[in-house]
Amino acid sequence: MSLPISPLSRPSEPAPSRRDIVVGTGVGLGLAALPSSALAATLPALPELIARLTEGAVPERGRITLEIPALVENGNSVDARIVVESPMTEADHVRWIHLIAEKNPFLDMARFHLGPRSGRAEVATTLRLATSQKVTAVAALSTGGYLMSDVDVVVTLSACIDGG
Amino acid sequence: MAFNARISMPAEARAGDIIEIRVLTRHPMDRGGQSDGKGGTVPRKILNRLTATYAGEAIFRLDMYTGVSANPFVSFTTRAVETGDIVFEWREDGGAVYTRAARLTVT
Repeated sequence: MSLPISPLSRPSEPAPSRRDIVVGTGVGLGLAALPSSALAATLPALPELIARLTEGAVPERGRITLEIPALVENGNSVDARIVVESPMTEADHVRWIHLIAEKNPFLDMARFHLGPRSGRAEVATTLRLATSQKVTAVAALSTGGYLMSDVDVVVTLSACIDGG
Repeated sequence: MAFNARISMPAEARAGDIIEIRVLTRHPMDRGGQSDGKGGTVPRKILNRLTATYAGEAIFRLDMYTGVSANPFVSFTTRAVETGDIVFEWREDGGAVYTRAARLTVT
């Protein structure tokens, strides 16, 4: 055993009795239930958001690239480019691409509607990011499937602070 | 000026070529919610939709929410089919509509 770094990391002195374990588990469950329900009320989980977009279908990973810098200095304007590998024909094309920021005050950022006349499924825009978070792109295909890609972005100066 | 748009794309293309269209818009994209100093809040005022129409059909539509930056940049592609105008139409919160057009000559 290494030396304790802080009082919190110090192991408890005696071996726990059965009574300690039973009581401790009860307390732990009570504590664990509270923050998770409080969090769920404020921030819907990312899988739920994606399920809402895809009407319950689970999107595949791959064939979609979300290009966004991993480290952003200014969250007020973040370049993002999305490329989907698709032939873009009448039978097989990308219907739309949706961008989600899980920790923005308003989670939906933009939706690009494409069609066979787009030629390529390649779009770009500039985004606002409130804080460091995971940015997700979901693409809907005309064949019925969905694709997704996500990138963790670190934001140094967040949007929504300076009023800009 | 509250609104201005710069559209950059090739002026001419061969039929069947895929061209990239880049649009830089000047707009504050005010997301609203700030105090107006009189006890209320400023309403949201952003461009909420950009539609591009070419050769009789909408080829691209972008729905924008508050997560799109001020002075938004957008790029997308289309296949050149015939000589004509590509018409860009922005819809702003409150109902204002802005329209710009760019001509594409197809050889």
